Amino acid sequence: MTTSQTTTEVARPPFWRDIRVIRVVGQIVAVVIVFFLLRYFYGNLIENFNRLGISTSYGFLSSPTNFRITYHESFNPRSPVWEMVLVGVKNTFLAGFFGIILASVVGLFVGVSRLSENWLINKAAMLYVETFRNIPPLVIIVFFGFAVFFYGPFPIFSESWEFSLPGSENVFLILNKDRWGIPGFSEIGNLTFFWVVLALGVIAAIVVWKWRTRMFDRTGQPHHRVLWATGVVLAFSIVGYFVTGQPFEVSYPAISEDRRVLNGGFAINWGFISVTVALGLYTASHIGEIIRGSILAIHSGQSEAANALALSGFQRYRFVILPQAMRIALPPTINQYLNLVKNTSLGTAAAYAEITALTKTSIGNGRPTFQSIVIMMAVYLAFSLVISAILNVVNQRLKLVDR
Amino acid sequence: MKRIKLLALISALMLVFTACTADGNGDDGTITTAADGGSDENGNGDGDGDSMGSTLDAVIAADQIVCGVNDGLPGFGVVDDAGEYTGFDVDFCRVVAAAILGDANKVEFFPLTAEARFPALQAGEIDLMIRNTTWTATRDGQEGANFLFTTFYDGQGMMVPAATGFTELEDLANANICVLSGTTTELNLTAVFEARGIAFNPQVFEDNTQLRPAYEGGTCEAWTSDASQLAAFKSSIEGEGGEEQFIMAEIFSKEPLGPVVADGDTAWAQAVEWAVMATVQAWEFGLDSSNIGSYSGDDPNIQNFISGGDISAGLNLPADFAVQVVEQVGNYLEIYEAHIPALGLQLEGSPNNIWTEGGLMYVPPFR
Repeated sequence: MTTSQTTTEVARPPFWRDIRVIRVVGQIVAVVIVFFLLRYFYGNLIENFNRLGISTSYGFLSSPTNFRITYHESFNPRSPVWEMVLVGVKNTFLAGFFGIILASVVGLFVGVSRLSENWLINKAAMLYVETFRNIPPLVIIVFFGFAVFFYGPFPIFSESWEFSLPGSENVFLILNKDRWGIPGFSEIGNLTFFWVVLALGVIAAIVVWKWRTRMFDRTGQPHHRVLWATGVVLAFSIVGYFVTGQPFEVSYPAISEDRRVLNGGFAINWGFISVTVALGLYTASHIGEIIRGSILAIHSGQSEAANALALSGFQRYRFVILPQAMRIALPPTINQYLNLVKNTSLGTAAAYAEITALTKTSIGNGRPTFQSIVIMMAVYLAFSLVISAILNVVNQRLKLVDR
Repeated sequence: MKRIKLLALISALMLVFTACTADGNGDDGTITTAADGGSDENGNGDGDGDSMGSTLDAVIAADQIVCGVNDGLPGFGVVDDAGEYTGFDVDFCRVVAAAILGDANKVEFFPLTAEARFPALQAGEIDLMIRNTTWTATRDGQEGANFLFTTFYDGQGMMVPAATGFTELEDLANANICVLSGTTTELNLTAVFEARGIAFNPQVFEDNTQLRPAYEGGTCEAWTSDASQLAAFKSSIEGEGGEEQFIMAEIFSKEPLGPVVADGDTAWAQAVEWAVMATVQAWEFGLDSSNIGSYSGDDPNIQNFISGGDISAGLNLPADFAVQVVEQVGNYLEIYEAHIPALGLQLEGSPNNIWTEGGLMYVPPFR
């Protein structure tokens, strides 16, 4: 259009066809529409709540729950609702945390096994993946509860199996259908100073880690930084234990004389085991496939080069293949971790007191539905955002640096 | 996340739904909902309701009663192998139909879930609800429900495997106790154990399909629920060759179950309530389905009961309503014997016995 004119002045199109105007206006319109939609829905909600006489306040959080929570003796019916939310968050975190560890370890193992040239290992891994991947996690949890605990091999609580180490009177493992006991620590002094010493130890370990890395970069000597860092933390904790006056001791689990209560040690309940193991194994089948795909995505030249250097099978994976495969595997694995944490909401199938189960109980006992669900959603959102944030940082560190 | 989204979606839908019904009320005022809560709207609803005619007129015009029932609770309301509704609550729906319409079969049964029951009543989808519903203050007050004569006094009980030898709640110190989530059962359990200072460990399940294996497997040492439901599960477990079960004698909550109608319709409520109470009065008089038609005694009270006369006029019931009820369905004892003893619950010594035998079945005089 402009070329046909002889003047140097560029003729501007009318403003409704001007791309610069359209861009700005379009964005403003979109924002306004979204704003008014949300405003409309929220206003509608509040209006209906008011008309129905339903409270929109969060004051109920400080009123007593009126119920007990499984395996939380310190939580009594007079504890406020917000404390119940914290218990739910803690239990969701525990199941998610240990579930992720289990899923990662098993997933890595299965993923590598799927590529094994050993027929048996290969097919076994395939069977595992195809089985767990194709069953809904809820069914796995329920099945796990049925097969291992309800109708499983373990005795009822009062007839628990107690195992002790030869030559020791202390029980180190208690197994039954209900709560398993393992040794734990019990506080007998002031732990605060010990924690301070331990924190110093971690800082020292980070310094040592960086020092070993620099040495490695400079001299090429093996860095052994994991060994060094662990050693430093261990040294600090042992010295700290004695310096702060032995503030804790090992406590062994024991069943009370009337065979009803599990004292001492660390108790693991069946709901936690069912949820964590079932979800861990389920997610591992997905992570295994991600690992397999990531390894296959590494050019075969890398393997051949590793073989040419006479690296062993383990070394080939540890130093050549997996570091590269991890870059590819991490983003989809993050999704699996998020799924696992969100799937812990199925814990109610195993009577596990995570946030969804507790929220449902609370709603059933007359707490406001809307506010309770908002809190529950906020909890899962927070979990997901934190996991994504942490793993994105890791991803940034791992990814190839483009120069 | 799927489940949460689903929950949120459902709650959003429910809100929209309740909002709609509330709108409907405001506009035509024919339906009274508890959800309105505010006294103005309720008041309006009542006034309009009366001027527009009672449910009683609507039922007579339609020649049918829509009765909300449970379709999955053995003994109270269940669909049998032939596809017929049967049970204690179901029979009381028939009682009302026999009294008002003269035919016990003029009932359309409307199966309801626990969550759907009050909205269905508020929205006028059902005329009457007899669905093992506990009469509580909040339900009477906030759900817009009008609870009538209690037909069954239930209460929360505790079941343990007989082999454990436990006989009272105190034996259950530190025990795992199976309970369904979000029910009054859970609150009752907590209240009674706290009050007595007994430590316990609740195992909270969402439904009985997971709870029962946990109990049978021994993860739970006791199971608490309404005594009538425990009795049903006891006979089911034992009938399938399971361990022998023991239901503790102690009942630690009050669960009065009875017919429910919507608030604000006195004529309808009266008709239903007196129809139901006629079954107890017949029992007290010793009248049952076999002998009420041929009564030839001289007791003026019984003669009056059978002929109706003064009794029925003010209640908007046909003169022979008591005869129709007892002949077509039976007196209270007959209804009870037909359904409840099969669950393993005995009448002797229970609150459901007639007052002359020490029970709570006591109705105002029919005169």
